[in-house]
Amino acid sequence: MNSSTSNAYDVIVIGAGHNGLTTAALLARQGRNVLVLERRSTIGGLAAGEEFHAGYQTDGVLHDSGQVRARVVKSLDLKSHGLELLQGRPSFLALDPRDRGMLLGNKERRTANEINFYSPEDARQYHRYRKFIRQVAGVVNRIFDELPPAMDSSDGRTLWDLFKTGFALRRLGKTTMLELMRIAPMSAADWLNEWFENSHVKAALAGACLTGTFAGPWSPGTAFNLLLWECSAKYSIKGGPRSLIAALEKAVQSRGGEIRTNAEVSEIQVSGGQIKGLLLKDGEHIQASIVAASCDPRHTFLDLIQGNQLENWQEHRMQHIRGTGTTAKVNLALGTQLEFIGRSGEKIAFARTGCHLDHIEKAFDVCKYGRFSAEPILDIHIPTVSSPDLAPPGHSVVSILVHFVPYGLKSQWDQDQIEKLGDTVVAALEQYAPGVTDAIVAREVVTPVDLEKRYGLVQGHILHGEHALDQLILRPTPECARYHTPIKGLYLCGSGSHPGGGITCGPGVLAASVIAQA
Amino acid sequence: MPIPTPFHDRTASLCTSHRWTDWAGYCAVCSYNLPNDSEYYALRHAAGLIDISPLFKYEVTGPDAAAFLSRIMTKNIEDIPGGRAVYCCWCDDFGKIIDDGTVFRLDKDRLRVHTAEPMLAWFKQFKRGFNVTLEDMTAKIAAVAIQGPTSRKILRQITDVDLDALAYYRVLTVQLDKLPVLISRTGYTGDLGYEIWVENAAALPLWDALMSAGKPYLLQPVGLDVLDIARIEAGLMLNGVEFHNAAHCLVELQKSTPFELGLGWTVDLEREPFCGQRALSAEQAAGSRFAFVGLELDWDEQQALYAKHGLPVQFNRGAWRSGVPVYNNDGSRQIGKATSGTWSPIVKKNLALASVETRYAQNGTVLKIEYTVEYRRETVSAVVAPMPFYNPEHKKT
Amino acid sequence: MSQVTQIAQPFNSHIPTESYDAIVVGGGHNGLVCAAYLAKAGKKVLVLESRHILGGAAASDEIFPGFTFSVYSYVVSLFRPHIVRELDLTRHGYQVIPLECTFTPFPDGESMTRCGDPEATRREIARFSPTDAEVAPRFSLAMTQMASFIKHLIDSPAPDLTALRISEVAKLLGLGRRFKALADGGKYVFTKLMTMSAVEFLNLWFESDRLVGPMSVSGIIGTFLGVRSPGTAYVLLHHYMGEIDGAFRSWGFSKGGTGGVSLACARAARSFGADIRTQAAVEKIILRAGKAAGVVVRGGHEIKSKTVISAVDAHQTFFKMIGAQHLDADFVQQLKRFKYRGSSAKVNLAVDRLPDFGCKPGDGPHLRGDITIAPGVEYLEKAYDDAKYGNFSERPFLDIVIPSLTDPTVAPPGKHVISIFVQYAPYHLKEGPEQWPAKREALGDTVVDTLAEYCPDIKDSILHRQVVTPWDLEQDVGLTEGNIFQGELSLEQLGPFRPVSGWSRYQTPIDHLWMCGSCVHPGGGIMGAPGELAAKTLLKSS
Repeated sequence: MNSSTSNAYDVIVIGAGHNGLTTAALLARQGRNVLVLERRSTIGGLAAGEEFHAGYQTDGVLHDSGQVRARVVKSLDLKSHGLELLQGRPSFLALDPRDRGMLLGNKERRTANEINFYSPEDARQYHRYRKFIRQVAGVVNRIFDELPPAMDSSDGRTLWDLFKTGFALRRLGKTTMLELMRIAPMSAADWLNEWFENSHVKAALAGACLTGTFAGPWSPGTAFNLLLWECSAKYSIKGGPRSLIAALEKAVQSRGGEIRTNAEVSEIQVSGGQIKGLLLKDGEHIQASIVAASCDPRHTFLDLIQGNQLENWQEHRMQHIRGTGTTAKVNLALGTQLEFIGRSGEKIAFARTGCHLDHIEKAFDVCKYGRFSAEPILDIHIPTVSSPDLAPPGHSVVSILVHFVPYGLKSQWDQDQIEKLGDTVVAALEQYAPGVTDAIVAREVVTPVDLEKRYGLVQGHILHGEHALDQLILRPTPECARYHTPIKGLYLCGSGSHPGGGITCGPGVLAASVIAQA
Repeated sequence: MPIPTPFHDRTASLCTSHRWTDWAGYCAVCSYNLPNDSEYYALRHAAGLIDISPLFKYEVTGPDAAAFLSRIMTKNIEDIPGGRAVYCCWCDDFGKIIDDGTVFRLDKDRLRVHTAEPMLAWFKQFKRGFNVTLEDMTAKIAAVAIQGPTSRKILRQITDVDLDALAYYRVLTVQLDKLPVLISRTGYTGDLGYEIWVENAAALPLWDALMSAGKPYLLQPVGLDVLDIARIEAGLMLNGVEFHNAAHCLVELQKSTPFELGLGWTVDLEREPFCGQRALSAEQAAGSRFAFVGLELDWDEQQALYAKHGLPVQFNRGAWRSGVPVYNNDGSRQIGKATSGTWSPIVKKNLALASVETRYAQNGTVLKIEYTVEYRRETVSAVVAPMPFYNPEHKKT
Repeated sequence: MSQVTQIAQPFNSHIPTESYDAIVVGGGHNGLVCAAYLAKAGKKVLVLESRHILGGAAASDEIFPGFTFSVYSYVVSLFRPHIVRELDLTRHGYQVIPLECTFTPFPDGESMTRCGDPEATRREIARFSPTDAEVAPRFSLAMTQMASFIKHLIDSPAPDLTALRISEVAKLLGLGRRFKALADGGKYVFTKLMTMSAVEFLNLWFESDRLVGPMSVSGIIGTFLGVRSPGTAYVLLHHYMGEIDGAFRSWGFSKGGTGGVSLACARAARSFGADIRTQAAVEKIILRAGKAAGVVVRGGHEIKSKTVISAVDAHQTFFKMIGAQHLDADFVQQLKRFKYRGSSAKVNLAVDRLPDFGCKPGDGPHLRGDITIAPGVEYLEKAYDDAKYGNFSERPFLDIVIPSLTDPTVAPPGKHVISIFVQYAPYHLKEGPEQWPAKREALGDTVVDTLAEYCPDIKDSILHRQVVTPWDLEQDVGLTEGNIFQGELSLEQLGPFRPVSGWSRYQTPIDHLWMCGSCVHPGGGIMGAPGELAAKTLLKSS
């Protein structure tokens, strides 16, 4: 079965996740002949909904779709493909085992009221905090929509872009500009301490910056992640991430793009520093001159490209990308609706545990030593609140991202440990939603190792590499930061590139803009 | 503190001068006697025995061993038949030299590499995708060089193997006085000679066997000072003198390329990718900035400089490696540097190894080299001469 | 003591009456360096030190008869060599003896000694990782490259990132040019260095925990951060600063303890005509029409001066000596969020014999360098975890030196002083910092117990023990929250942000009041640079 497809495609995209599909759709729209190759039998990657038990589905492995770039939706006209982008990020409940918690949402006043219950002073501060965020959001958001600066370029355009961003930064005023630069390297805990007094409030706000990272609230640099999230999370997608995938799929296909599933790439063939073609696992060979890889850059360079085609220094940089997974997934099928204490009857779609910064930090601490905490931090989503069709009538689905679960578990991920993790998560959830244990119809535990196997995430890292100061902007490495790579014809378009992981489609858009000029 | 080599028990008692130096962390003899003229003449007219155990030795085994080394080296190692040795160098991604050394192909999938600096970490970087094992043998294998016109006759005394069949740059496993050794027709003196590689445990018996078999043929132990003279006469370069490992250089100017060092003949460009290939191809196309040359200093001018002070010509004993500027013919512009040199007792000339701008590298070009007499910096003419300066016929026959 | 009285007089016995060009508040090494530069330029300068000895945290004292300790600090790492040259400090007794090696014992009976002999060090490291052994020189080279790039930042006032003045923009462009001139690899290393944690940065080169652990600790000294906390990598550079200044090794003992450096600075200042008074605690900085005009010393004496330069930390200066009511609310707010949170303590031992390490018995060069109890990254992280929740580390990181092995003046013959830097000992205990006196000896026991795991006979050899907690540093030396650097050296508190954004150039919102201590750029350590740069900036402006 060693057939060779002739060079019928202008661009081949590896991976049909949200970023791969975005790049494919944008290029197809420009009239390029695009082929998307997906290793799995379904498309969507981490944004795909999964039926984890007969009759029960999630709406995505990740569930925060608030940071999706509005310009993607607009430029691909995803609305016409059935996507509904709702203004305002969804409310989430900061859980408290002893009380009703805090429902933090898009409406500032309502959120302040919830905070007021814990600390009137912090409720007042919350307005100031939001004011600061609004003040800087414009400039910070530009980071998501602009190509990163070239570290080595005499290209006048690049300098001009840098100057423009610098100028925008300067226009914020001297104080605000310095303030932004001061905050960037700080820990979320230190930064929040400057604003707030109540530990519940601080913990509730800190949660957003910890998804997927090997960092606790006391780790320096997390303030920047928090700031990025606060400035950019502005939307929600009706139906969750899977709806985004469905719309992107249509956007690709409507312009003649082809998506092939069960098509695993085993080698990116390179010769003389140039892309020659792709070899699929089943032996098929496809000629290609432009390839956009949306998979983890470490997979692209260290698994798919032969060792002798990379220069030593590039290989060294790729090998040293930091990204060891700290997130597990637990999906629960419930025979009832999930109700949190003090919130009976309320429709809560998102909730998070961790009601004290120290509690979150301690959960992170054990992860450093290759264990998971007995009190893990849960990022909970109940997709059936807005999409009841994901479960049988009256039933519900709880989709939980468990933070600080190490990929490299010291005692190995065997069945015992997997069950132990499941039990730990359920026991933790029981504290906030009494009765949940008895309502479980089915449970799926997906460890970081399973994430690696199932979705091809290198070392199970859901962001394709840590979101830390050293790996943001010039992501994944300086020479690949502007989506093209030292290998002619090979581009990166996934979460491993700026602006990084999560459902933003940002890398997909920026990569497409670079490839469009190729 | 340097540590002893496996031959230390013997070399220490012979080293009457007590002049030692640190060679890669080992105690190495500079010269056994003072003065060391007898060592030099033994090496050039009879034979010398040199402890070269501090060389770094790596064994590369496995089905991809040759392909793996080809990925690292400028030379295509896959082309080398079994039983052959090659001299070659290796570069960084930018075509700048890291180190030089010899590679022995012991077998289809067993090779040995000898280097001046530790290279395990450097070699390991390239392992991805190759089915090889890399083992550092440095501390396990002792090595001794027997060099000079009578060396073959000495070895014949203790082995039955036909040494005439062991041609230049060949390797062979033999028994020497019943000791299993690896013997290679290689060396660093530009003369007939062999290097013998042996397990540490057999080091002292081997030394004794060689010394007693060598006695009638005037074999003498030789230290590094004399080796340095010999290698300059042979036009052979030294890491740390003629070039510096690019990974240890702070600025570009300190680095050099194989082409600049006259090692273009070790670079096989047309083949599978190897480290530095792209840069070396570009350099070959564009030409190199510098070339490696041998210089012979004008005798009459030297004599005249000394005469100005009423002195006869005086020479340092042994080689120098302090480095001096080299100028164009009228002395108006520095066009390079001489990195080491020596008075050659056999050629009867003052010789130097130098790196000069390419257009001054033609044989016969007359340049000026800095020359200090009585604390006054002067220049004398030096002519670019073919190397090796000393090249006896019996080296390769 | 006798040395001090020759240079400085107690305040009450010689009350200064005249008016000065400049009064330096605080006789630590930075205050003294600043005073020396000003006096050298012909200014009439008075230095006021509250304690009976000079040196602040860089002071030596004979705590037990016959045993002289560098009570608070322990080694001289970064003292700027050009200050030594410009103030001719060697003539005034400045002598620093380089540390020979770094010795790390491990709990499993192994140990690693890294010393000045590159081949011996390579063999030593190779016992644990042959590749690390080979990579170590390449790492040093990369660091040297970085150090020569960063040197300009340390030796000049912090760049103003927002200024639109031509001179400032030119300075930034100059910085940009130097950055551009770095090779591609250099730029990569620099961006990583400025953003990564010490451990992760070291992992770009090294694989062995036994090497990365002890190497990483220089990134956390004096900070409330762990070796895996981003931002700690750049401090590693400090180890390589000395190399480019022509010093053999960058860490060393000062003869007579670290106070020797301060005394040399004081003598230099005296030789240029500066007055120095001890036991002169400044209570207040006098403001006239909102401008600094002198100081009030305990006892009520007022001394007038055209300029007041504070070498004490920002908290002491502004909240104790000025008062928040005289300051702009925003400035106060920013001062308040400047983080101190001292994290280290000091244990000084007088012993009757040398410690005998089980893993490397007997005397040897390994005792003459610094002895690091930092056997691995996990050990250090656990030590940090304890501190995060308000406890001192159950098994702390120790950096130990035995100055009496190289300096015969500090202990009686045959006896020794052991100087132990201890981290983490957080100022903010969960019971509150005022509980430190009650916990002081418990900390001392923990430190001795930790050390005894590697050299069991240490306990029997102890003649005297002194434990200096962060609380003591605050009470005795006036370092707020016991921070040895007058404020944490974390990225957001460096350069233009130190101590307050926009006020990093030694001037303050109060006219004629300047700062010259470790709380201003380029920060702490026995470096002298803040004092020097403050004096030079002041002289240029007047």
